[in-house]
Amino acid sequence: MARNFLQDELLPAFVDNLAAFGELHGPKLTDDGVTVFGRVVTHAELRLDYRSTLLPPKKYLLPPRETTLAYSPESGYRQPAATEKNIILLGVHPCDLAGIAYLDRVFMYDAADHLYSRRREALTLIGLSCEPDDFCFCGDVNADLPVGFDIFIQRADDGFCLDTGSDKGAAIIAGLSRLFMERERPPSRMRNCSPIKDAIQRAVKTQETFEGSPLWDDFAARCLSCGACSLCCPTCYCFDVREYGNLDGATAERIREWDNCLFKAHGEVAGGHNFRKSRQERFRYRFQHKYLGFGPTRGRTSCVGCGRCREVCPVGIDMLELFRLKVEGKAG
Amino acid sequence: MKKPVIAIAGLTACSGCQLTLLNCEAELPEVAERFEFAWFPMGTTGGDDCAAIDVAIVEGAVSTPDDLETLLRLRSRSRLLVAFGTCALWGGIAAMKNHEPRTALTEAVYGEMAVNIRTFNPAPFHQFIKVDFAIPGCPPEKHELLTTLASLLKGTFPVFPQYPVCTECRNRENRCLLIEDNEICLGPLIQAGCNARCPAVGIKCEGCRGPVTEANVAAETELLLRKGFTREEIESRMRRFCPEWDLSSPLL
Repeated sequence: MARNFLQDELLPAFVDNLAAFGELHGPKLTDDGVTVFGRVVTHAELRLDYRSTLLPPKKYLLPPRETTLAYSPESGYRQPAATEKNIILLGVHPCDLAGIAYLDRVFMYDAADHLYSRRREALTLIGLSCEPDDFCFCGDVNADLPVGFDIFIQRADDGFCLDTGSDKGAAIIAGLSRLFMERERPPSRMRNCSPIKDAIQRAVKTQETFEGSPLWDDFAARCLSCGACSLCCPTCYCFDVREYGNLDGATAERIREWDNCLFKAHGEVAGGHNFRKSRQERFRYRFQHKYLGFGPTRGRTSCVGCGRCREVCPVGIDMLELFRLKVEGKAG
Repeated sequence: MKKPVIAIAGLTACSGCQLTLLNCEAELPEVAERFEFAWFPMGTTGGDDCAAIDVAIVEGAVSTPDDLETLLRLRSRSRLLVAFGTCALWGGIAAMKNHEPRTALTEAVYGEMAVNIRTFNPAPFHQFIKVDFAIPGCPPEKHELLTTLASLLKGTFPVFPQYPVCTECRNRENRCLLIEDNEICLGPLIQAGCNARCPAVGIKCEGCRGPVTEANVAAETELLLRKGFTREEIESRMRRFCPEWDLSSPLL
């Protein structure tokens, strides 16, 4: 028996009351029709039936560009003062929850990143069940079950069933208990998986690098290095660090900015040496990091199957073809 | 600390790049205080003492014997020379018809007076001299100019990211004019730094900042051809700010 059932007609009240717990953000449409996570002032702006946002919620934890240190001769290098607002992020699909869980591991597991941790602490995640689209494949990478949420909302026929995943979530549910009724929980659905699920799991287990695949050259020839695949990836966290002086000739700022492993500069070091000179080498690197994992994340696939990279690539590059070609090759 | 001595000058161009500096109204007093202007005909009165210069910041394409003389003179008396803007770096707007005969072009504009016009195909600096740094853009972005000036106070140049306009455009979550609207957007080929100024207001990237490092011209052309644009349209669009797409970047 589920205690926290929210009837459809009470959804607006639920959403508007969330503002008491933090600044409400969720899926909405921009003026030119792009679905994004952004500030939501009233429930009418929310698009809870959205398919996918352009940028994943990682932008709340690791912004595209941020100042990490400010330098002055008097005080040396200083971290920016904490100004994090409490943000309630509503409507996060399981794939994006899995993405945040992975980033948490990277940025907070060992030697926590202060800026990331501060934002993470101020972020409340309200997950939402979803329907698959033409691009996503969370079931194939085991990211279909919600993880790391404060509250998870499961869509039912005439309302929503809410689960709590943390004390923070429980406090919100308790605060709004007047809106809920008791109702039988709808069965949670597992995603249907495609034939490549086994291929992915096998590749990760055996650290398969697809050395001889003809696809590497094909990807390299087509890739525009536009960066979209990693910017829109919920788990790509590579960043570049640069420092810029100010016109006073004394102070400076150090920034970090999202990077992409298909950029020439990603593998470039002082003196001009490049560890990955060709796009082909960069694709192999991307595959290995994304699917096989490096260092402490070895054996851990960071792909959460959201499908954004396949959708935003202007030339339709899809790394899943590596697995697909292997499966088809065996079948044939 | 000795103030860096700079010159700011223009060759064949619209002076829009130099105007970018004058438009930095809030920062101008600080710039004037930190640098000694040896020569800046557009912004200051007073002649040129022809003494040594630390940094020459020069806009425009080289398109007349006078241009070339000015450029060579500035190069020979400056420790560092900065190609300021897309004309200086790539040839720019003035070079968009370089593939057509020069005499036909001058006659079309000047009629029978054309014989007296001494010009050649507008060309970027790197065809004549060694260029130490470039600030792309038509016109360049204020912040890139100011960041460059700030670095010059320390005797160095800043590192600007080498990715295309698409990267900044995606980060702003703009609607993709290339994929969703099938427009002839040059975003994937063009050096970022403008924060996707045009696509952010629904205007396709015209390419005013010139080629990005390792621009994949073949793949973009293929993509645009598949979308139904003709090779002529694509080439003409790409030539608008840079006539030499087959050359790899001379600086990067």
